[in-house]
Amino acid sequence: MLRIYRRMWAVNWSEQWQYRANLMMYLFYWLVSPIVYLAVWTTVAREQGSVGGLTANDFITYYLTLLIVDTLTSEITIHLVAYKIQDGTLSGDLLKPIHPILTHVLVNNLAFKALTLIALVPIWLVLGLLFAPDFSGVTIQSLLLAVPAIALGFAVSFLLGATITCVAFWTTRVHALNEFYYALIVLFSGQFVPLDLMPRLVQDIAQFLPFQLFKYFPIQLILGKQPPELIARNFLLGLLWFGIALLIFRWVWRNGVKRFSAVGA
Amino acid sequence: MHSLRLLVTLLKLNIQQELAYRADTLINIALSLMWLGWELLSLSIIFSNTATLGGWGPGELVALLGVWRLVNTLMAAIIWPNTERFNASVRDGSLDYTLLMPVNSLLLISLSRVVIWRVWDVLLAATLIVVGIGMSGGATSPLSLLSFLALAASGTLVIYSLWVVLIALTFWFVKFDNNVTILQALMDAGRYPATVYPPWLRLIITFVVPVAVATTVPLQALRGDLGWWQVLLFLAVGAAAMLVASQVWRAGVSRYSGASS
Repeated sequence: MLRIYRRMWAVNWSEQWQYRANLMMYLFYWLVSPIVYLAVWTTVAREQGSVGGLTANDFITYYLTLLIVDTLTSEITIHLVAYKIQDGTLSGDLLKPIHPILTHVLVNNLAFKALTLIALVPIWLVLGLLFAPDFSGVTIQSLLLAVPAIALGFAVSFLLGATITCVAFWTTRVHALNEFYYALIVLFSGQFVPLDLMPRLVQDIAQFLPFQLFKYFPIQLILGKQPPELIARNFLLGLLWFGIALLIFRWVWRNGVKRFSAVGA
Repeated sequence: MHSLRLLVTLLKLNIQQELAYRADTLINIALSLMWLGWELLSLSIIFSNTATLGGWGPGELVALLGVWRLVNTLMAAIIWPNTERFNASVRDGSLDYTLLMPVNSLLLISLSRVVIWRVWDVLLAATLIVVGIGMSGGATSPLSLLSFLALAASGTLVIYSLWVVLIALTFWFVKFDNNVTILQALMDAGRYPATVYPPWLRLIITFVVPVAVATTVPLQALRGDLGWWQVLLFLAVGAAAMLVASQVWRAGVSRYSGASS
């Protein structure tokens, strides 16, 4: 099995490398939103001194950390699999004696992540110089704590994303559902705005949903802003959601494949 | 008038195409409303924490959101779908047939695909603008309203011209699939007035990809911030951009030697 993953890695890494120009374009595309929100909030924070308890520096460190965390926990499964379900080319993958999503697609995601991260580093450093963040809240412990949180965040994000993509087995077109899912992520994960600033109701609901595991929770861990009782609670929440996501995905996959009739192939 | 009849035909074709996917249209409208809800929520979060944003009040930002949505809708309804068609036609050689037709090739390429349901977004955007102007309280003179409309049109022309130049680059650099991604990316920066951003970002969205010219500038005219010579200047920029773009396009087409031999 390990040999299979090593092979997958070699294939997917070279594929990502081949499309590196494309990747750079997507990177720039994806960078604009966080920078725009960062600029807006720091302007407000500078005018007012602080916003909801957060100073300009809090916003700067939040968004700069978000750039890294987002790269590590996001997933692109729908772009890799949806078209295969729709035009029937998934049949080829299904014939192989390995699970297409848990091997090839997973490793593709990881290779994309790795190359994006490499390309991101110089840009991130330039942004650091431009915005001059004060990262004094970050310690070795906080970084170490964030590692399992990020791994958990990616695992849940990947499984949920794959589940959404697999709805295509039933509905063929998944674009609308995916956009709705993305809107939920944006609302509850602290993607555009730190959860601290969202209305009380949104914050309360977010406590039970998995989305904050993708962005807000790891970011706050890194910045050293999570009280110990919340850390334990959120890790447990993460494990619970991992279990749920795994079960849902397995059910959706098994039943989806049974229904798959390779329309178009 | 030839072109006008062509436009009408293209519109009819696109409407027919979309009527076949009614459920899709409803879902798209629902999604559009959902994103509008999110945008208004973020504005309300900002304004529950501050009275002004870089000197702009809530009504003005709602109007700016409307202007931005207007430009963005035109992008989504016309520019992006036609870019995909253009790139595909370059790759598979059908661009040759397009260029051979006895019509202005730029017109055909720009408007062969129009996403009809987006007209709903245009209505939403117009509503936002009207509501925003009302909220900001200040009475707008007919002159500032006129210059607002003219500058919005001119700003859209600037972005359209940039798009034409970007896709025309395909005539020189054949493998250039992501030609308009940078334009698409920086559109997001038009949501907020350019005065809010740090200087380097302001420079980029004014001179490199002039999103600010299409969003912030018309809004400034509406508020009466711009002198008449500035309005004329920006209108001239729009006209000049269109001229440059059509020249670049003409140069590109004459350079094009066909896809197959």
